[in-house]
Amino acid sequence: MIEFCSASLVYPNGVKALSDVNLRVGRGEFVFLVGPSGSGKSSLLKLIYRELFPSQGKVFVAGQDVTAIPRNAVPYLRRRIGVVFQDFKLLPQKTVWENLAFVLRVISVPRREIRKRISEALDLVGMIHRCDSFPAELSGGEQQRASIARALVNNPPILIADEPTGNLDPDTSWGIIQILSRINARGTTVFVATHDNQVVDRLMRRVVALDNGLIIRDQDRGMYHHVPEPESLCNSEPQEC
Amino acid sequence: MNLRNVEYLIQEAFIGIWRNGIMAVASISIVALSMAIFGAFLLLVLGSHNFVERQLARFEIAVYLPVGESRQKAIEVRDQIRALPLARKVTLMSREKEWASFKRRMNTEIDLGGVTGNPLPYALHIESKDSRKTSRLADQIRHINGVAHVTDSRETYGRVKAVADLVKILGFAAALVLCFTTIFIISNAIRLTLFARRHEIQIMQLVGATNWFIRIPLVLEGIILGAMGALIAGGLISLGSGYIVNVVQERFPPLLRDISSGVDSRQFSMSLAMAGAFIGALGSFVSIRRFLRT
Ligand SMILES: Nc1ncnc2c1ncn2[C@@H]1O[C@H](COP(=O)(O)OP(=O)(O)OP(=O)(O)O)[C@@H](O)[C@H]1O
Ligand SMILES: [Mg+2]
Repeated sequence: MIEFCSASLVYPNGVKALSDVNLRVGRGEFVFLVGPSGSGKSSLLKLIYRELFPSQGKVFVAGQDVTAIPRNAVPYLRRRIGVVFQDFKLLPQKTVWENLAFVLRVISVPRREIRKRISEALDLVGMIHRCDSFPAELSGGEQQRASIARALVNNPPILIADEPTGNLDPDTSWGIIQILSRINARGTTVFVATHDNQVVDRLMRRVVALDNGLIIRDQDRGMYHHVPEPESLCNSEPQEC
Repeated sequence: MNLRNVEYLIQEAFIGIWRNGIMAVASISIVALSMAIFGAFLLLVLGSHNFVERQLARFEIAVYLPVGESRQKAIEVRDQIRALPLARKVTLMSREKEWASFKRRMNTEIDLGGVTGNPLPYALHIESKDSRKTSRLADQIRHINGVAHVTDSRETYGRVKAVADLVKILGFAAALVLCFTTIFIISNAIRLTLFARRHEIQIMQLVGATNWFIRIPLVLEGIILGAMGALIAGGLISLGSGYIVNVVQERFPPLLRDISSGVDSRQFSMSLAMAGAFIGALGSFVSIRRFLRT
C-alpha cells in the first residue's frame, strides 16, 4: 500500500532528514514509527501525502508513484489518505463540525450523509459535545481528537497519524489507540508515528525505528525500545522483500 | 463541481467575511477611501472640463446693434440669426439688466454721474452648433441688415480652449495615475488579507481540496468586499458633491452656479461598485495564486 524505494530527503537548509529509506507497508497493516525527536518521523510521513518531495528515490501509494503525479492530481491522492497532523492543522475559522464537514464537502458528500458521518466520527473520539467549538476554544487533547475525527471522517483507505496521543493522558491515549486498532481491523492501513512507549509496548504491533534519518529496526511484533530477544530475531527472519 | 458545491462555496464566502470581521472592515474601508478619493477627483476633472466647455460655448459670438436701435429691430435681427443653420442658441440680452449690473459693478470705482439714461445698444449672444465653424457663422451674421458690430471670440476662444484642453489632459492623466494607485492599494490590501489566511489555505490543500474549491469563496469574498467598499465610496461622493452643489447654488454668483459634472450620481456609484467588484475579483484571483503554490 505504501512503499519507499531508497528515498532520501534533504531540506533546503541542508538538513539531511532521511537517508536511503526502504520500507514497505502492506494493505491493512498497522505500523508504529518510533524514534527520538528529530529523527525524521514527520518528514517520512509527509512524503506519503506529498507535503514534501523526496530529494532522491521514489514513494508509492497504492501502486502509484506519488513523486510523479501532476500537481492538479495531488488533492485526489490526499483524499485517500487521512492525516492526523502533529500540530493538528484544524481550520481556525471553522468549528469542529465545520472542519469535518469541509473534508466531506470537498468530495461532494450529500448533506444528510454529512450529518451522519460527522456524528459518528465525533462520537468515536468522544468529541460530539464540543462540535460547535472553535479550535482556539479547545484544549490540546481536544484539538487532537478533533483532528483524528477529521482524518477518519471520509473513511480513507490509509490513515496516517503523527503523534496522535502526544497531548493525551494515558487513559485517553489508550482509547485513541484502540480506535485506531478498530479502524485498522476494518481494513484501513494505519501508520502511526509516536513517542508513546507504553502504547507501543502494550499493542505489540509492527515497529519501524528511525534514528537520524535511517531505519535502524523493523520488527513485526516490536516494542518501543529494542529488546534483542532470540524470539524476535526468529520472527524477523522470514520476511519478504 | 455540482450545485450542492456552488451553494456551499457561496455560503463559505459570506461566512469567511463574517468570521474575519476586522479584516473585512479594514478591506472595505481601504477600498471605500481610496475609491472615494479617486471618484471625487474624477468628478472634479469631469466637472471642470464641462464647466469650461459650457462657459466657452456661452459667448462664442456677440452681436451689437447700433446704439439707439429699437427693440422691435433687435427681435427682427434675432429671428434672422435663428434661421441660420449654424446657430444653436440665440439670446437677446436685456439692455436694462446689463446696464443695472454694469452700474452695480462700476459704482465704487468710476463716477458715472455724467451718464444719464441707458447708453447700451441691444446685444445678442449666439452659440454656434459647431465650434469649428464659428467664424463662418460670424461672417454670415455680419451680412445681416442692421447689425453694427460682431465680435467673433474665435481667437480668444482658441487660446482659452488650448489651455482648457491642456488642463483636461493633465486632469485625466492624473486621474489615470490615481486609478493605478487605487488599484495598487486595493490589491495590496487583498494580498495582506490573504497572507493572514495562508495557513488556512495550506490546510485546505492538505486535506484534499482542489485549488478551485479554495479559490472560489475567496474570490467571491473579494468581489463582495470590493463592491461594498466602492458603494460606500459612491455614497460618500454623492453626499459630498450634493453638499458642494448646495453651497455653490447659495453663495456663488449666478454665472458660476452651473457646475454639474454631467454625470448621473446613481450611475456613477454603480460603475464604481462594478469597478470595485472587478478589482476585488481580479486582485484576489491573482494574489491567491501565490498562496496556492506548495
Ligand atoms: N522545514 C524544515 N526545514 C529544515 N529542516 C527541517 C524542517 N522540518 C524538519 N527539519 C529537520 O529535519 C529533521 C527531522 O525532522 P522531523 O520533523 O521529521 O523529526 P521528527 O522525528 O518528526 O521529530 P519529532 O518527534 O520531534 O516530531 C530535524 O533535524 C529537523 O530539524
Ligand atoms: Mg514529528
